[in-house]
Amino acid sequence: MIGERNKMDILSKLNDIKDAFEAELNNCSGAQELEEIRVKYTGRKGELTGVLRSLTDLPPEVKKEVGQKANILKKEFEEKVLAAKEKTLEAGSRAKAQTIDVTLPGIKERLGTLHPLTQTMTRINEIFVSLGFRIAEGPEIETEFYNFEALNIPMDHPSRDAFDTFYIEGENLLRSHTSNVQIHVMQNQPPPVQAIMPGRVYRPDAVDATHSFMFHQVEGLMVDKGIRFSDLKGMLSIFCKSMFGQEIEMRLRPHFFPFTEPSAEVDISCIMCKGKGCRVCSGNGWLEILGAGMVNPKVFEAGGYDPEQYTGYAFGMGVERIAMLLYGIEDIRLFYENDVRFLNQFV
Amino acid sequence: MKLSYNWIKEYVDTGASEEELAQGLTMSGSEVGEMEKNGNDTLMELEITTNRPDCLNIVGLAREAAAVFDKELKTPKADVSEEGKGPAIECVIKSKQLCPRYTARVIAGTRVKAASETIKKHVEAVALRSVNNVVDVTNFCLMEQGQPLHAFDLDKIKGGKIIIREATKGEKIETIDGEMRDLQPGMLVIADKTRPIAVAGIMGGKDTEVTESTKNILLESAYFDPVSVRRTARMLGLSSDSSYRFERGVDKGMIKMASDRATKLIAEETGGKVCELYDIGSLPAEGDTIKFSVEKAGRILGISIETEKAKNIFNRLGITVCEENGPELVVKTPTFREDLTREIDLVEEVARIYGYHNIPAEVTKLIPQVRRKEHEREVLEKLRSILAARGLNEIMTYSLINEAAVKRFSAISKDPVYLNNPVSEEHKIMTPHLLDGMMRSLSWNINRGNKDLGLFEIGKIYSKGAKGKYIEIHTLCIGLTGNLRKNWEEGDRKVHFFDIKGMADTVFKGFKLDPVFEGTKISGLESTTVINLADKETGFIAEVSKKILDAYDIEHPVYVAQIKLDSLIEKTNLANHYHSIPRYPSSSRDVSILCDQSLAAGSVFKAISESGEELIRDIELVDVYTGEQVDPGKKSLTYSIKYGLDTRTLKDEEIESVHSKVKEHLVKKFNVTFR
Repeated sequence: MIGERNKMDILSKLNDIKDAFEAELNNCSGAQELEEIRVKYTGRKGELTGVLRSLTDLPPEVKKEVGQKANILKKEFEEKVLAAKEKTLEAGSRAKAQTIDVTLPGIKERLGTLHPLTQTMTRINEIFVSLGFRIAEGPEIETEFYNFEALNIPMDHPSRDAFDTFYIEGENLLRSHTSNVQIHVMQNQPPPVQAIMPGRVYRPDAVDATHSFMFHQVEGLMVDKGIRFSDLKGMLSIFCKSMFGQEIEMRLRPHFFPFTEPSAEVDISCIMCKGKGCRVCSGNGWLEILGAGMVNPKVFEAGGYDPEQYTGYAFGMGVERIAMLLYGIEDIRLFYENDVRFLNQFV
Repeated sequence: MKLSYNWIKEYVDTGASEEELAQGLTMSGSEVGEMEKNGNDTLMELEITTNRPDCLNIVGLAREAAAVFDKELKTPKADVSEEGKGPAIECVIKSKQLCPRYTARVIAGTRVKAASETIKKHVEAVALRSVNNVVDVTNFCLMEQGQPLHAFDLDKIKGGKIIIREATKGEKIETIDGEMRDLQPGMLVIADKTRPIAVAGIMGGKDTEVTESTKNILLESAYFDPVSVRRTARMLGLSSDSSYRFERGVDKGMIKMASDRATKLIAEETGGKVCELYDIGSLPAEGDTIKFSVEKAGRILGISIETEKAKNIFNRLGITVCEENGPELVVKTPTFREDLTREIDLVEEVARIYGYHNIPAEVTKLIPQVRRKEHEREVLEKLRSILAARGLNEIMTYSLINEAAVKRFSAISKDPVYLNNPVSEEHKIMTPHLLDGMMRSLSWNINRGNKDLGLFEIGKIYSKGAKGKYIEIHTLCIGLTGNLRKNWEEGDRKVHFFDIKGMADTVFKGFKLDPVFEGTKISGLESTTVINLADKETGFIAEVSKKILDAYDIEHPVYVAQIKLDSLIEKTNLANHYHSIPRYPSSSRDVSILCDQSLAAGSVFKAISESGEELIRDIELVDVYTGEQVDPGKKSLTYSIKYGLDTRTLKDEEIESVHSKVKEHLVKKFNVTFR
């Protein structure tokens, strides 16, 4: 019966350990101490482990019973320590929260901005790129040939009135439109062509709320066999609706551009008043936003394409104009003043 | 072009209201703008495109309306017969090139007075001032059928001679508006025996003007070369209803008819006798014969149109169908439509009248193409997003700047491009750098109370290259000033040189490029450091000098970077290749050296990287110290060096050994001590 007595001894020892553990646990006040308690009772050299080690001489059935008990106790201790630890952490973070004023503002990060004209141009480009157009660029400092002659705008013709131009030495000038790139594109690749050409253009206008001697355009060109005026209308309709909204109406009016035939000016229903007539659309319900037409055969000749085989359309739009409509900006000069109170609105 | 609603109704009965007529004209290409009630009439302001001088008169617009509304056009008739002889005159054309045909009608025994109510009403209906019965008739006819006419007081013409010639050097004329005009060779004038009496096609002279005392009239109706009229009008800074039409081209077939119409009306108005008509020179007035395929037109427009419909449109527009073979037509254009020379022009005529709004909108063709890498564009877009993500505002500035802005930064303004015809002194040179725009933008904001600024621009700089070529280079400019990280915790920390340097470095790092910074001197800038990329100078960073700041009215320090993007674009490879992440950990060791203040941190960095290369993974300067704890003239630099190997974890002894080697190397090279 030695085994039985030893068993009783050990069980009571386990009870003592348990009492001691709980007493210590109740008096403990920090994570550090909790960890010490855990080590003291359940660690590799801890008290419970000590008890288990002392069982080696006992008969197997006692070993088993006491062992089970000790293991249950070990598990219980570990869970209690863990629970106590969590409690301490919670209490800790509550205490911490009380030491900072959470209503102080966060540390400010600067939000950078892209210029509204960059954003507008990107949006225009993306619409056309999604429709299969590639983007081409050409020089701003141009020759008479690319800016005028190749586009069927002869010297000393009233059609040049619409294209007052800055000249530099010799035959050189600042392009007055991005249409010059049409010719470069035609010279650089055989048809078919489907491309847009964004860029900066110049005209000697005095600066006021709606005029600027420098502005931006996006030109479009589509050339292949069998391209039709109805394709142009379809493409522009997709563009206008993508840019300004599904409900937008579009109309084409006959117009004159030397480099297209037939030519059209493109209006959209006023985005401010929905076509009812307001100050923005001068009361007529329409806003002119594009010039377009079928590429004039003379332009194909200048670009080296065969006008008997190919037809195509071209269009051009002013980026400032579109940005002004899109954002409700009333003065074109705002784009070039770069006031951060203006720029920061375009995050 | 001003149009009277009541007047146009005299030639075409469209049955359309004012609004309907305006809509019809607008949608066929003669855009109606302002409309204004004028008694029981409506005055419309039209924008007529330069290719359509035939619409610069009321009959022309009536023809358009007739086509749009498919109605009959009634044109004015004029029959005159010579009733006797007037004072003899001799007409000579000296410059046939500039005046191929000239007609002059003598009307004798005129009584010049106020015009009849009918004429007056018409003239005033298009907002012209009524002068007298002769002038009013010429204006009436100009507005009705578009041929500019001029009436001279025949008795004031000296020597019984009309000579159409170029002006000679030093000649002057006082025009009807009372201005004295200096003429020069190349300008066409109508002269009598002794002097010019009119600037051809632009304005008559004061001396021979028709007044109430005029007894005999010489009525001019002619054709003047459009280019010559345009050049002369521009040189004189004088534009008139007459020159506006001549420079766009008047109807070559209208010259005699317009003269007759006006003659008849002047005779009626003044009681004068119709006398001789001098008609000299010759001007073939015949339209073009053009083949037109209705089918082809339909193909180009994307509609199917009946031949009858096309023929009817042509007919209404005064285009004669001469031959017809199914949908293949041969047409002859009228003399007033010189803009119609090719089949495509006729396609537009059909489309205009058929109505653009009746053509469907349908995309039947897209061109599938392999998406080409638009490398430059992609690089620029990425650059923009890097800078915006750093909290900077993108700006856009004018590419045209003034002379002072070029001179201010003369060292970086090589071979600037000047405009021949600037609109102002402020904008006359294509900018050779982006600093002026940047400084202006900073100044604009600072002067409006925003002193903490981080701006960038991606624009172009321009210069004259070799062999008459011009160079445009995409360029980045960054400008920093004030305090970009002001917050309640860290307080006030003004931007300084190393912010701009870090920003510039970040830009290159964003493209996995390693620029080399090297000190240099550029006037107007301080602490200037050039940025080299693969041994090519690509830009600089600097603090702007006090003198330049003053020029832009800025008090606080400004730091700028300008980087030409051509090399960056060229050297960037946007295709990313993955390198495996180091499998074995790094260990860091710090080294604090004490050295002379003059020792450049850059060379210490370089020395460290040379010394234990293989094992060094990263070197970071973590502290720079001067002050009480070091001797005067000395500074302390603390570097944190990361050691590691890709094949195994380094042992402590190995790290210590290489770290000692690094330190020895520094001692050997710079004679530094350690703290």
